[in-house]
Amino acid sequence: MGVIAETTQENRTPAAVGAAIRRTDMRARGEPALWVLGGALALGIAMIAGFLALVAWNGILTFIPKPIDVVTQADGTVTAGEPFREELFRPDAEVLEALTPEWRARIAAADGYTSRTLYRTGNFDLYGEDFRWIPDFTVTKRERPANVLFIERLEWGPFVGSIKSATIDGAERQIASLDDPAFVAAHRMSRQRWAQANDIEKDEIGAINHKLEAARLDLRGVELDSGRDSTDYRQAQARVEADAAVQRGNYDKLAVQVEDLRRLNAANTVTFVAVGGEEKTEEMAHLVRFYPANDLSFGGKIAVYFSRWAEFLGDEPREANTEGGVLPAIFGTAAMTLLMVIAVAPFGVMTALYLREYAKQGRLVSIVRISVNNLAGVPSIVYGVFGLGFFAYTLGGSIDALFYPERLPNPTFGTGGLLWSALTLALLTVPVVIVATEEALAAVPRSMREGSLACGASKWQTIRNIVLPRAMPGIMTGIILAMARGAGEVAPLMLVGVVKLAPELPVDGLFPFVHLERSFMHLGFHIYDVGFQSRNAEAGKPMVFVTTMLLISLIFVMNVVAIVIRNRLRRKFAGSQF
Amino acid sequence: MNMDIATSAREDTVYHVKRGGAGAVLDIENLSLWYGQAQALHNVTMPMEKGLVTALIGPSGCGKSTLLRCINRMNDLVDGLSIAGSIKLHGEDIYARDADVIALRKRMGMVFQKPNPFPMSIFQNVVYPLKVDGVRDKTVLEETCERALRSAALWNEVKDRLDQSALGLSGGQQQRLCIARAVAADPEVLLMDEPCSALDPIATAKIEDLISELTGHYTIIIVTHNMQQAARVSDNTAFMYLGRLVEYGDTEVVFQTPKSGKTQDYVTGRFG
Ligand SMILES: Nc1ncnc2c1ncn2[C@@H]1O[C@H](COP(=O)(O)OP(=O)(O)O)[C@@H](O)[C@H]1O
Ligand SMILES: [Mg+2]
Repeated sequence: MGVIAETTQENRTPAAVGAAIRRTDMRARGEPALWVLGGALALGIAMIAGFLALVAWNGILTFIPKPIDVVTQADGTVTAGEPFREELFRPDAEVLEALTPEWRARIAAADGYTSRTLYRTGNFDLYGEDFRWIPDFTVTKRERPANVLFIERLEWGPFVGSIKSATIDGAERQIASLDDPAFVAAHRMSRQRWAQANDIEKDEIGAINHKLEAARLDLRGVELDSGRDSTDYRQAQARVEADAAVQRGNYDKLAVQVEDLRRLNAANTVTFVAVGGEEKTEEMAHLVRFYPANDLSFGGKIAVYFSRWAEFLGDEPREANTEGGVLPAIFGTAAMTLLMVIAVAPFGVMTALYLREYAKQGRLVSIVRISVNNLAGVPSIVYGVFGLGFFAYTLGGSIDALFYPERLPNPTFGTGGLLWSALTLALLTVPVVIVATEEALAAVPRSMREGSLACGASKWQTIRNIVLPRAMPGIMTGIILAMARGAGEVAPLMLVGVVKLAPELPVDGLFPFVHLERSFMHLGFHIYDVGFQSRNAEAGKPMVFVTTMLLISLIFVMNVVAIVIRNRLRRKFAGSQF
Repeated sequence: MNMDIATSAREDTVYHVKRGGAGAVLDIENLSLWYGQAQALHNVTMPMEKGLVTALIGPSGCGKSTLLRCINRMNDLVDGLSIAGSIKLHGEDIYARDADVIALRKRMGMVFQKPNPFPMSIFQNVVYPLKVDGVRDKTVLEETCERALRSAALWNEVKDRLDQSALGLSGGQQQRLCIARAVAADPEVLLMDEPCSALDPIATAKIEDLISELTGHYTIIIVTHNMQQAARVSDNTAFMYLGRLVEYGDTEVVFQTPKSGKTQDYVTGRFG
């Protein structure tokens, strides 16, 4: 804005009015400063836009199904895989020795460099590797046969190969194509049974385990209260045992159900064969998705693309997080950020209110203010250490000792969890809210306050009725900044509650429904984990981009919501003045 | 400014006979005021008549607003302020140690130089003094709102949009809304600090008519630097200069036969 206004003014400078008017000195006219400012702005925007474009480009492309090359090398090895990326490299001297003269000449002409391609071969269970570099000079043939399938499985990563035969309900049969109705039906059935078995295990058996644990804790509570020899304890023991017997009965029934489903599923299998001739038999239930990579219509590609997105957004992770979905991480991030806002907003606003409206503006307040501003410079991991030491161990430990003695020595609140993470981040972001709120309060016109006081309102009534509503848009800005900062923060969370894989969401159907003490998954940590901590860093890399894109979008959505609320408030206070 | 005048020998105030006779509502006695080290008021003594309009005139910076804001203790907000002397409302010292500022302000209404409606609906603006007083009865609030808006000559213009934001009104309407708000809680004294200085002539004329109509119901003290306005609307006029009360009495007398040379210069427009 300012830059543009400045420019138009410069343009109006009558440079060509005539020789009689000497040109104003360049420095005085401020043009160099203008160029520096404009350049800084352009550079900043270019960096941000470049970063976002990189993330978005990679994130959007990742799920597009790629073709599969079948590559034959000079030594007769046949490899099938998705071409993942290419690079130039400098082959060793002895490798060069063995090459044909033409290749040697070509490589020498390129300063000793030649290119190689990284193929995603899959079939980790067969080869012990997911990716393979193939130098171009070894390739004798490269084709894209129509019958090669890309098969995503629950375990071992993808399989690349073709179908040899299938067993449906124990009977072996040949299947002509993937569209074979018997095969499609059997696959769907298997996946349904698999999902059903999982549901039973997770929900119903989970609930039983929960009840058994609750009963055990009950008993332990009675023991702590009245001792092991008391009649209370014996009564409770009898009750708990009777109850446990019932639960175990239920458990056995469910276990049988699961067993049945699994047995039925074991009768539906497919045998695949890799390009090297190796065979692999998989239960149909374990096949997430498969498609003929080189024979995919446009519609087929789109279907695969969106089904991958749907899985990513709506499912739980598998394969050490490098595949499957990130739903728990989305949920964890959103829940933690929301809790953080709930904690940071009142705390920051109250602090700022006291500092600005009530505290006597003197040296002490100045020192407090400077300290608050400097808090922003403390490395975030330090907050993590503080959160762990103070919130988890000290506060949480006391809560456990007071309210959950029967669970000890297992910690309940005495370890990292959602609540402590939110509070730690609230602490980390509270300076932002305090500073923004103070500024917003200071910007409320004096005439408003005086008008209210002159009506006989007390100071508190004036603050509540006039000052706070007026300052609300500014306060919201602070909260938005804090939210963006907090949602993207990872380092402190690693100490106070974020985990690689959380077995349970912080919100579920079991009383009390919201479990603030549980550890949770977080998109930011997920990025770090997938990109740098997984067995298969190469496979994780595209997921880094997708997850980053998702995290940025999530923060973006939360910000947009907050900004819409703020603008609505702002419109309420901005009327025509005259 | 003029150092020689500021340091010239202390003049005593010239008091003329005032209009009215019902007795003084407000009694300002020997009031001196300092902003930090700087003295802004010097020994002002000035009784104000009940039910009449008293105008405070004088050049910019002479202490009119300061004096006015002492009356409802708005100056309490200023850091480093010190005061000597007393102001009595019906004989009670408002600066007494046990005086309740909030109760005091409830007995007074104030209208500021720039209209300052709150960012709420017209209705909420008018009944704000009652709301902070704890009045919740809807019929009482509605009756008050209508009465206050009528006495501010605004009722007909806004009666159909009471629930709309007050910020949507024009400047003149906003100022009349502020007057309605100031009179809503039925105060004894109405303080106005240059209420027309931000308004156009038509809006100014309306406010002046309004002030004339309110005469008798309220004791009005109005600060203005517009001498015609003071002459038109006020019963008594006080001329202030450099923090001192120079001349005080019946408006006609002050304007037509002032005793002090300064007053004469000022009312004839020779400086100001
Ligand atoms: N809050 C304040 N702090 C310090 N000095 C002030 C303050 N308000 C007014 N003054 C000074 O007091 C004198 C009188 O001001 P004021 O009462 O506003 O004059 P008027 O309303 O007659 O124009 C002026 O010299 C002004 O600078
Ligand atoms: Mg003034």
